[in-house]
Amino acid sequence: MKSLTLKTGLLAVAMATLFTGCSDDDTPGPGNHGTDKYVLITMSENNLNKPGFATAFDALPTGSIVNNSSQSKQGMGFGGWRPYGNWLLKMFSMESNALGIERLKVDADRTISSDKFIATADNKTNGSGNFAIVNETSGYYWDGAKPLAIQTFNPTAMSRTGEIDLTAAVNERGENEADIKFRSIGQKFLAVKGGKLYANITYAKTDGPQKGFWDDFYEDVYIAVIDIATNKYEKTIKIEDTGSIAYINDNHMYDFDTNGDLYIVTQGRSALGGKSKISRIKANETDVDKTWGLNMDDIQTGGKFVSVFAKDGKIITVIPNTALIPGGEGVGNINFEDIWEFYSIDIASKARTKISGIPAVTNPGAAFCAIEIDGKVLLRVNTKDGSKNGYYQLNGTQATELFNVTAGGSVSGLYKITVEN
Amino acid sequence: MYMKYRLYSIIFLVFNIVFAQAQSVGGIHGSIYTEKGQPLADATVRIGSQSTSSLSNGAFSINNIPAGKHAIQVSAIGYQTFQDSILKTAQDDLKLEIRLLANGQRIQEVSVTGKSETQQVREQTIRAVVVDTRAVSTQATTLTDLMNRSTGVRIRQNGGLGSRPEISINGFQGKAIKYFKDGIPIDYMGDGYNIASLPLEVLERIEVYKGVLPVSLGADALGGAVNLVPAKRRGAQLNAFYEIGSFNTHRIGVVASRESNDQKWAYGTELFFNHADNDYKALVGVRDPNTANLEYKRMRMFHNGFENFYGEAFVALQNRSWADELRLSVAGFALEREQQHPALMTDAYGAAMGKQQTVVPSLRYKKSFLDGKLSVDQFASYNNLKTRRIDTLMGRYDWYGEFTPNSTRGESRLPSLSRVNENQLILRTNIGYQINPTTKLDFNYVFTDAQRDGEDPYGPRLDGTDIDVLSLQSTYQKQVFGVSLDKYWLEEKLHNQLMGKYYRYNASGIQNTWFSTNITEADKRNVSGNYWGIAEALRYRITPQAFVRGSLEYTYRLPEREELFGNNIFVVPNFELEAEKSLNASLGYQQTFAGSLTVEANTFYRNTKGLILLVPIQAPNAQYQNQENVRGFGFDLDINYRFAKHYRAMANATWQNLRLHGITNAQDLWKNDARLRNTPYFFANAGIQSDYNNVFSTNDNLKAFVNYNFMREFYLETIPKELEPGGFLGLSGQANINSNLRIPNQHLLNAGFTYKLPTGHIHLGAEVRNLLDKDLYDYYRVQRPGRSFHLKLSYQL
Repeated sequence: MKSLTLKTGLLAVAMATLFTGCSDDDTPGPGNHGTDKYVLITMSENNLNKPGFATAFDALPTGSIVNNSSQSKQGMGFGGWRPYGNWLLKMFSMESNALGIERLKVDADRTISSDKFIATADNKTNGSGNFAIVNETSGYYWDGAKPLAIQTFNPTAMSRTGEIDLTAAVNERGENEADIKFRSIGQKFLAVKGGKLYANITYAKTDGPQKGFWDDFYEDVYIAVIDIATNKYEKTIKIEDTGSIAYINDNHMYDFDTNGDLYIVTQGRSALGGKSKISRIKANETDVDKTWGLNMDDIQTGGKFVSVFAKDGKIITVIPNTALIPGGEGVGNINFEDIWEFYSIDIASKARTKISGIPAVTNPGAAFCAIEIDGKVLLRVNTKDGSKNGYYQLNGTQATELFNVTAGGSVSGLYKITVEN
Repeated sequence: MYMKYRLYSIIFLVFNIVFAQAQSVGGIHGSIYTEKGQPLADATVRIGSQSTSSLSNGAFSINNIPAGKHAIQVSAIGYQTFQDSILKTAQDDLKLEIRLLANGQRIQEVSVTGKSETQQVREQTIRAVVVDTRAVSTQATTLTDLMNRSTGVRIRQNGGLGSRPEISINGFQGKAIKYFKDGIPIDYMGDGYNIASLPLEVLERIEVYKGVLPVSLGADALGGAVNLVPAKRRGAQLNAFYEIGSFNTHRIGVVASRESNDQKWAYGTELFFNHADNDYKALVGVRDPNTANLEYKRMRMFHNGFENFYGEAFVALQNRSWADELRLSVAGFALEREQQHPALMTDAYGAAMGKQQTVVPSLRYKKSFLDGKLSVDQFASYNNLKTRRIDTLMGRYDWYGEFTPNSTRGESRLPSLSRVNENQLILRTNIGYQINPTTKLDFNYVFTDAQRDGEDPYGPRLDGTDIDVLSLQSTYQKQVFGVSLDKYWLEEKLHNQLMGKYYRYNASGIQNTWFSTNITEADKRNVSGNYWGIAEALRYRITPQAFVRGSLEYTYRLPEREELFGNNIFVVPNFELEAEKSLNASLGYQQTFAGSLTVEANTFYRNTKGLILLVPIQAPNAQYQNQENVRGFGFDLDINYRFAKHYRAMANATWQNLRLHGITNAQDLWKNDARLRNTPYFFANAGIQSDYNNVFSTNDNLKAFVNYNFMREFYLETIPKELEPGGFLGLSGQANINSNLRIPNQHLLNAGFTYKLPTGHIHLGAEVRNLLDKDLYDYYRVQRPGRSFHLKLSYQL
């Protein structure tokens, strides 16, 4: 994703370098002296191991694309990218779909392999491996083994460096509340903005396999603010009257607008939505903007937000065209039915414009619904019948097909890096 | 098949025919003795075209002998062959007592034509791969290893002794394969009676049916079936054994039975105990607690043990006017299985475990009527299968076995202290009617009733309530009807079996697809299904040494309990499931050359639609759904050759070409014609065995063996056909793709010997498994044990 780096002043130079090719200005990640590779991932099966393929292309793909050729890499955990700078990162290992942070490398001959992997001590709790990067030497992640702490790591070395104990911050509320079965900080939402780390605080009503998901004890979502320079907890802010901030996969469900404003998805009270919102923390603020918010209940009853992309005062997202229905294929509609339609929403006026030239799609899930590469805004498209499966390019509110993946599975991510020759 | 015996002396003493009450259609049984009246084991008894071997107590039995005149021949090493003829009428039920006497005079080597019961099954019209467990019962080997040496069969087992096995037949596995004990479906026994833990001694043989099943196996199998045939018990018999092996493996057991002199009563027991720490080393990723990076090391499994106890006792009333046999049996088992890691070897567990136990009373009644033309075989059992899963640890272990406490419960994703009760009733009726000497009609009916409920204080609750999801009762009833018509033509050269099957099931439960929604009356479901299947099998004996056989079947597999009900954890119910259906065909040829070389070649075709697979819905929930269509063909080749007086070699190879088809989703069109994922497509075995008598002293016997197994690489997930390995049958090199999901070529070499002491009662067996200490994998690269040593002492009386 472009936004994280573009809107953090620290990394503006990095992305400029990325987009302009070779430069003497070193940026995060290896191999900025070389050629561009566009790395596409697809998921070959919709199962919990997320098997799939990754292929490095020399140019932005166009036309019909095969993503499981002899040049491709087959592995697990291919639900989506969570890239940074010149690094291909994701939250699940290719080897076994283990939770953690995996960095992939691409050779000049387009060979893809696992570079390094940070394993979380807890490989069972959803959200283990949720991470955010500050710069090439500093990052944060959550490990379910220590749910009340946030781990620190060096993204260049890809090794853990320590942890911040935030028990006191979590216990500012509900410490003696017996119905809170599980507490964590940073499990679903970690974002870096303006020298601060923002980490959600989970107060969950369950302590089972789904702990932390659709089980909010409070009706407000709490976010701790931590000073990055000192790693000191400063305060807790909240998004009122909603639930289920973000999720636990590579799609972190937040984005930075060009001006640095941070937009955050909360999915709502349950997997079926209800009180789902997009909220904002302005660029120079450290609290939730109480004067602005998008409420799904005002748009589609029984719907929810599942992804967000912000650029130049517009939000690009998908909105269900009908109420969500639980259940598997043929019964439910949340994941695999063509109910999600692309919209451009003017942030100032909240006016929605349906994007034309693009079909309704399935739930993007761990993939971002929209990305930016080479200055182009690309929309991820996957229809139930698989006839449309690739990226469309957005121009204004008109989208046109850029490429369609015919083999390899459902498209789940595209990212550009530069590799050494 | 011809078997050659070197005979030293033969004297016939007594041949006595006793007419007894009718027992079963066409049955002949009896005993073989020495001149001193001692039971003579391993004598070959041939009647007409059928033969068998006498048991350790001298007893033998041959069924399905048509009325008429038959040649009888009895031979044994060291004794003179007896030959005569007998006349059998429809109402006859013959009991023979035959005594052979050694005379010490060496004669020329002779050939004896005959087929053991095991060989007969191998030559059935419906093809079965037969694992002759009795023939190797003194070896320090396992059933799973034995079965893996068989043509077209793979046992996929993700650990050491006791780890749950899954048999793959022609590429089909899981619930498509059904298990039986002596013809009775054994789902009701849970994990207590399966090939992972059974000692060789308790079985006569294992029959593995590929595709078409005989009607007597009443089940909705799709891919095949495994029939575990218990050791025959006649007269007095005692068999005790103890095996000790690497990884603190101990296996001990006794099988004993006795028959009253008038053969009106019989009673017996079998008891066995297995224990293994399974603490072999495996290559795993060990997390550095400081850097959090993984370093791959060979670590010892420290929580991988297995222990089970099985006991069975029976008493039988037999040879009565009202019953040929009425057998009351009580079986019970208790097992504990430690869980070292989740499905993949990503994490170390140090406390999670499972337990299972049950006590099963059962009754079996056999009787023939109408001068033996009509036979009835009735089985009934009832039990409560209790299963526990225990994962309550407040903390976690690492691969060093170090414990770190924490505040959340459970090592796995599913903290649990569950108790699941499955009350099961099984009824099975088999009726046979011999219309005439060449025509027989069989009817088979199996009824299964199961009710499941349970509790788990750490399991999910219905939203907004304290109702334990596991406490919601579900019921399941299944009925399988089968009829077959057997007909012989052309002086029994041609055998035809035509079978029809009818399946019916009813299930009720709660469609709690989402544990987060409240359940109402509207969520209760009652579903049912009715399906017809038909099968045809044909065998033509071209010469006494060669035959050809083929089969064609259209059949269904009904949704199983867990597929309908889910597991109340991650797997949610799906009452919309349809039965899987399949068209299966097979063609095979077998010939024996010069009595020393047997060659068998078979090919098969499968076309299966609506395979039921587990797929995710809304994370973390998953649901069984009808997903893929698979079709393809394959072939097996099996060679058995006695190339020298003391040496026999065997080799077999299986290649199967099972591929997906019928996929219409545009993004998945590339999968059409791709191999079925996570399924080996080529595997082969080769072995050599020596057999020497009088090695260290008179009357001793030494058998030594070496067995090699090869499994071709395969992929956990689908790869495009055009990237598959090249060469003849895809056997060269690797797939043309850079994959993390490749299971590499595997080589397994086992070697051992058995030594029979001169007394004939004591056997000593030893085996080295995985002699080359190669890395072996199964199930998502879960590693299997390295080199291990096993020693076994058997006593047979």
